[in-house]
Amino acid sequence: MNEGSVMLGGVRQASQLAVKQRMRSVTNIQKITKAMKMVAASKMRIAQASTEKSRGLVQPFLKLLGDIPDADVEKNVTVAITTDKGLCGGINSTVCRYVRGMSSMYSADEGKEDRLVIVGDKGRAQLTRTHPKKIEEIIQDVGKVRITYAQASTIAEELLKTEYDAARLVFNRFQSAISFKPTITTVLSPNALEKEVEAGGSLDQYEVEGPDRAELLQDLGEFQLASMLYNALLENNCSEQASRMSAMESSTKNATEMLSKLTLTYNRTRQAAITTELTEIISGAAALEG
Amino acid sequence: MSMQVCIMTPDRIFWNQQAEEIILPTNTGQMGVLKNHAPLMTALDIGVMLIRTKVEWTSVALLGGFALVKQNKVTVLVNQAESPSTINAEQAEKTYQEAQRQWVEATGAKEKVEANFALKRARARLQLVKKR
Repeated sequence: MNEGSVMLGGVRQASQLAVKQRMRSVTNIQKITKAMKMVAASKMRIAQASTEKSRGLVQPFLKLLGDIPDADVEKNVTVAITTDKGLCGGINSTVCRYVRGMSSMYSADEGKEDRLVIVGDKGRAQLTRTHPKKIEEIIQDVGKVRITYAQASTIAEELLKTEYDAARLVFNRFQSAISFKPTITTVLSPNALEKEVEAGGSLDQYEVEGPDRAELLQDLGEFQLASMLYNALLENNCSEQASRMSAMESSTKNATEMLSKLTLTYNRTRQAAITTELTEIISGAAALEG
Repeated sequence: MSMQVCIMTPDRIFWNQQAEEIILPTNTGQMGVLKNHAPLMTALDIGVMLIRTKVEWTSVALLGGFALVKQNKVTVLVNQAESPSTINAEQAEKTYQEAQRQWVEATGAKEKVEANFALKRARARLQLVKKR
């Protein structure tokens, strides 16, 4: 730390320097958060386009196979979709809260098994503390370069290996730059799908080309899982950027406020120091004369 | 009086227009669909889909998926779709030769499956440019 060249008014000068240091660091923080906000804004714009396009594929699946949140199955797997990076507001905590809620719902019911698959580092950090035994798999660095359908297919393949009956994807659906709703989408496994269809669903009215309807349903179920997962990843990514944008915006605003307060304090201390110096000089001169 | 044909990939809606007739490359062969077809669901193999609008025949290469037909609305859900304009004829030819060679040389179940997949894909893309 650079000591002041004039050591007058010892304590006051030190605090003047301290305030100046603080002002400098707050200004830097302000610049960084402002830049982060702009980066997040541009990323969000790009993400928004691909997110909206991916919704197109989800619609026919929902119409055909339906979203059955109250499907009564034995083996559940919950897929928590979170971010790898932080400083993005409360979206990861929201997802983890829902996952914890669902987990306590299942553990209250005997004979129901539920496993956890976590996508994203932040989710891992929160959920390994509270539910370490339930975790089946952790997937990181998903959106590092770009989110592709191939990635979603790979995750879907891993999911299918766990032999579940119903998968519940928990993510933040992007609605607008300020609104992201936590969403739970239920995707039945191909086997459970067959059972639901036999119980009589909208699938029955379709003739099936080719010999085996069961095989078709199997493929369809896998395709549905991959597509829903892809959509969920994109939506969460878009929500992440939007949330980061608003978090950085409020951070910049707070930094600006703090800076103005510090400036006032700095000027006050500066003026007080000058006044003290002047008073001492004048009284000293007066004492010499008189 | 025609059908609404909608081809969707995970990334975007590839095609969404009216058509008179379509020919789908199903697992059990080529299958034609005209208007007022019974509700139908089928798996699609990697191949070329032909669409006839009032004016002309268009072809689209599909890389595996499903097709649903209901009440004159055809929904095709595929992993990937390509139209002739984005394919270079010479390159498609070369890729096809290469894929054929690989298919012959493939040993082991996994390699054979991958080679088969690549061959079908190259063939579909080549068919697309040849038809033009």
